[in-house]
Amino acid sequence: ADGTNDLRYLLDLARFRKVYLLPDGRRQNSECSGSDSFKCVMSLSLLRSHSRTCPSCLRPWGGLSGVPELEVEALSPINLLLERSLLPPRPLEAPEPNLSPDLKKVNCSPQTFRCTLSSIPQNQALLNKARLPLGLLLHPFRDLQQLPVITSNTIVRCRSCRTYINPFVTFLDQRRWKCNLCYRVNDVPDEFMYNPVTRSYGEPHKRPEVQNATVEFIASSDYMLRPPQPAAYLFVLDVSHNAVESGYLKFFCESLMDNLDKLPGDTRTRVGFLTFDNTVHFYNLQEGLSQPQMLVVSDIDDIFIPSHDSLMVNLKESKELVKDLLTSLPGMFSQTKETHSALGPALQAAFKLMSPTGGRVTVFQTQLPTLGAGSLKSREDPNQRSSTKGVQHLAPATDFYKKLALDCSGQQIGVDLFLLSSQYADLASLACISKYSAGSIFYYPSFHYIHNPAQLEKFQKDLDRYLTRKIGFEAVMRIRCTKGLSIHTFHGNFFVRSTDLLSLANVNPDSAFAVQMSIDDSLADSSLACFQAALLYTSSKGKRRIRVHTLCLPVVNQLSDVYAGADVQAITCLLADMAIDRSITSSLTDARDALTNAVVDLASAYKSNVSNLQQSGLVFPAALCLFPIYILALLKQKALRTGTSTRLDERVFAMCEFKTQPLQQLMRMVHPDLYRLDNISDQGALHLNNTVIPQPHLLHLSAETLSRDGAFLMDCGNTFYLWIGKCCHDLFIRDVLGCPNYASIPTNMSHIPELGTPLSKRVRAFLDWLQDNRAFSSMIHVVKDDTSAKATFFQYLVEDQSESASSYHEFLQHIQAMSK
Amino acid sequence: MTSLTIIARVADGLPLAASIQEDEQSGRDLQLYQSQAKQLCRKLNAQSPDRCTLEAGDMNFHYLIAKGVCYLFLCEASFPKKMVFAYLEDLHSEFYDQYGRRVPTVTRPYSFIEFDTYIQKTKKSYIDSRSRRNLGSINTELQDVQRIMVANIEEVLQRGESLSALDTKASNLSGLSKKYRSDAKYLNTRSAYAKVAAVSVFFITLIIYVRFWWL
Repeated sequence: ADGTNDLRYLLDLARFRKVYLLPDGRRQNSECSGSDSFKCVMSLSLLRSHSRTCPSCLRPWGGLSGVPELEVEALSPINLLLERSLLPPRPLEAPEPNLSPDLKKVNCSPQTFRCTLSSIPQNQALLNKARLPLGLLLHPFRDLQQLPVITSNTIVRCRSCRTYINPFVTFLDQRRWKCNLCYRVNDVPDEFMYNPVTRSYGEPHKRPEVQNATVEFIASSDYMLRPPQPAAYLFVLDVSHNAVESGYLKFFCESLMDNLDKLPGDTRTRVGFLTFDNTVHFYNLQEGLSQPQMLVVSDIDDIFIPSHDSLMVNLKESKELVKDLLTSLPGMFSQTKETHSALGPALQAAFKLMSPTGGRVTVFQTQLPTLGAGSLKSREDPNQRSSTKGVQHLAPATDFYKKLALDCSGQQIGVDLFLLSSQYADLASLACISKYSAGSIFYYPSFHYIHNPAQLEKFQKDLDRYLTRKIGFEAVMRIRCTKGLSIHTFHGNFFVRSTDLLSLANVNPDSAFAVQMSIDDSLADSSLACFQAALLYTSSKGKRRIRVHTLCLPVVNQLSDVYAGADVQAITCLLADMAIDRSITSSLTDARDALTNAVVDLASAYKSNVSNLQQSGLVFPAALCLFPIYILALLKQKALRTGTSTRLDERVFAMCEFKTQPLQQLMRMVHPDLYRLDNISDQGALHLNNTVIPQPHLLHLSAETLSRDGAFLMDCGNTFYLWIGKCCHDLFIRDVLGCPNYASIPTNMSHIPELGTPLSKRVRAFLDWLQDNRAFSSMIHVVKDDTSAKATFFQYLVEDQSESASSYHEFLQHIQAMSK
Repeated sequence: MTSLTIIARVADGLPLAASIQEDEQSGRDLQLYQSQAKQLCRKLNAQSPDRCTLEAGDMNFHYLIAKGVCYLFLCEASFPKKMVFAYLEDLHSEFYDQYGRRVPTVTRPYSFIEFDTYIQKTKKSYIDSRSRRNLGSINTELQDVQRIMVANIEEVLQRGESLSALDTKASNLSGLSKKYRSDAKYLNTRSAYAKVAAVSVFFITLIIYVRFWWL
């Protein structure tokens, strides 16, 4: 990946100079290293962009690599009121910590492990002075291209703090190593002296554990409480009238049928089905039956399991019966008149059914549960959707779902929720079932198989990924950090079993976690701080494995260094998590104020402590110059906005997403990437595996950057919007969209046709490249300038004023006024 | 009905496959039985009797050792013994067929966990009361269960402990005797040196005396 990054820098740089610096474009490479001569001609923003992309500077924007001029540059104060173009040409990369090249080379990938401050302040006083949150963002079970897997009889760990041996430990001599977290000196076991990779003896520091920051161990039976259980999947399906009306059942059955052989597992994999309306239905799929048998339990107040060993069946042996059931299921309820939903009892039944083995329960729900335990009442007042006073009912209405989720977690059952409802379904209460059992939540507002084809397509695509993605069972995750640091709050879906142990009944490759930390003791003794996340899980093939990630960061004692190493994206995401907690425990208004105050505090702290220049205006360190934009975008995000009409369920879902989505996805949801596509060219393109991927520049999210004769792509993380201006050139419309002119573009266009024109190829190459980097494929909507969909597109232009929220410039002025 | 089947390698007690069936009521006890079973697998060695029944409260452990693999089954004490051993024999023949050759080489615990499917099916055929009657009559003659040793699980586990205590004592004793031996040797050499020194001092004095006073 490094190679391609470097390549991209090179290419970016080349384009850069062509555009801004040297029109002749021939002597570029020789000029690049002597960057001093450039600096005098470049404006401030150019200078920043240059160092962000220049290969001679060897690192992206933000970090310090020991060269004094760069330090000055990362810290160079920026007056936000004057400087308007702050966005880098390409999406922001994580700042690289200021470490020696050896350590940098082995450090954990920022996609897996990221810290809000890539230079850790030495003590709590310094951290308080910086007014920035300290925390980690983790994506521990991410799909990886390559991962060293280690099988050995003894897994080498520190004897006092149980840290796994990692690249940042020090070997005192051949036989002893010093733990980098608690500084205890440990012995190197004999087995560790042999290196299986090079087949040599006596080089413990060349073992794969010590060469890689991310490794996976095959665990011995000491790490097992019970024999590995088979992968077990239970599908709980809503078949009430409402569900049948929405038509999801047919598409679910089709999707599962297609993916039946791709479900992660081995020959032991078990599946089961359970449907419910006002009663709960079980399906006997025991091998040897001629067709599936349906068993109805109507006593929903005291639910029981009608048969013990024939409801969860071996997939391999009962495959024909399962297929039979999936074919007949959509038709079985087509005439139902039952409108009630007994979700609570169905979940209780699922819990009982899965208790012996644990596994994954997938719940499909289409309405408010109305019967039996866990029934809910509608709490949303539609007139309050756009109130500016604050939002009620963000907290669950009952603790039934939380309690059940905790029981599930105890029995190693994870519950995933698919909510496909057009009405209010109280997601705030329902989400608890997944939140505490480490599940995932999917929400498809106004789902209907005919009226809303876009949602249907998204549902199908999500299901494909969901059913086939990796899964880990019976997982626990522990995060350890250098002595002196302590973890105090966790964000994500899990149950906190003890102070630093997260219990994850299921772990999936798409969910991320965040933790907040504080500094208890001074870190002055050491120059490095380390963090280690260890995830112990049972794979779907019945192997117990431990995935270990270790991150190493420098410790600094200067406030300016703390600012220079700040990771603005990680800070934004952590603050968002904190704001969501605040909005549930206190109020939304409080949370919004806290976010604004975070910007104000930073501005005043920076002004009084670091920037000694007598500059007027609103001054921010260069590394954090995007902070106000991001916070403003956050305040306009569905989860936290006020004044704009937002349905309660959509708001709650956005909050759930904040807690579980990985950082890059979150950042696109908060601050979408905007590109101009009609003049897309191969200049500065990325060359990957013989395909040319154009790299258009990022644009500010403001109507100012749009023009009527252009076409703009907005990447919002889970959706793409392609906005076509009224006077967009017919050439683009014809070559890319396959329509003769603007008027003939259909209003609900949601795909880009595969045309042979160079322009179409370029656009599709770029779109595919954007898609490749995410787990769930995103939908694309073509938005014409004169349709109602235009409003959806324009609400993402966060720098502009909307009917209820201020523009970026107004926001800055507000900050300036407050920070005086 | 609660039951537990574990297949382990005798040489080092590495579990190879397992199958657990638990009741809703007896979830807690199973944890205890499981850890007892684990200990037992570690205790067993080539010298252990190859068929044995161990009593543990109202449950019984039955095990069978064949070709270096131990087949352990936990069930209620009332369950007929001959049925258990017929079941274990059955497991052995199938397991040996499928994985026998790979047993000595594996290092990962529960490497053959997929055998679980077969265990469950077989167990059901033995436990299901209808088929049980049929099978039972067939196996009566085949199994001579009277000669199978019966012991108590506590005894077996503790016998191991007292044996290991004896072992430590013995090794302590041998250590002490070694020390005594080396100490004695050291003393011997020291006294020998002293003698030599005394004699040489006497002669030197004599020589000096002869040299200076007589001549």
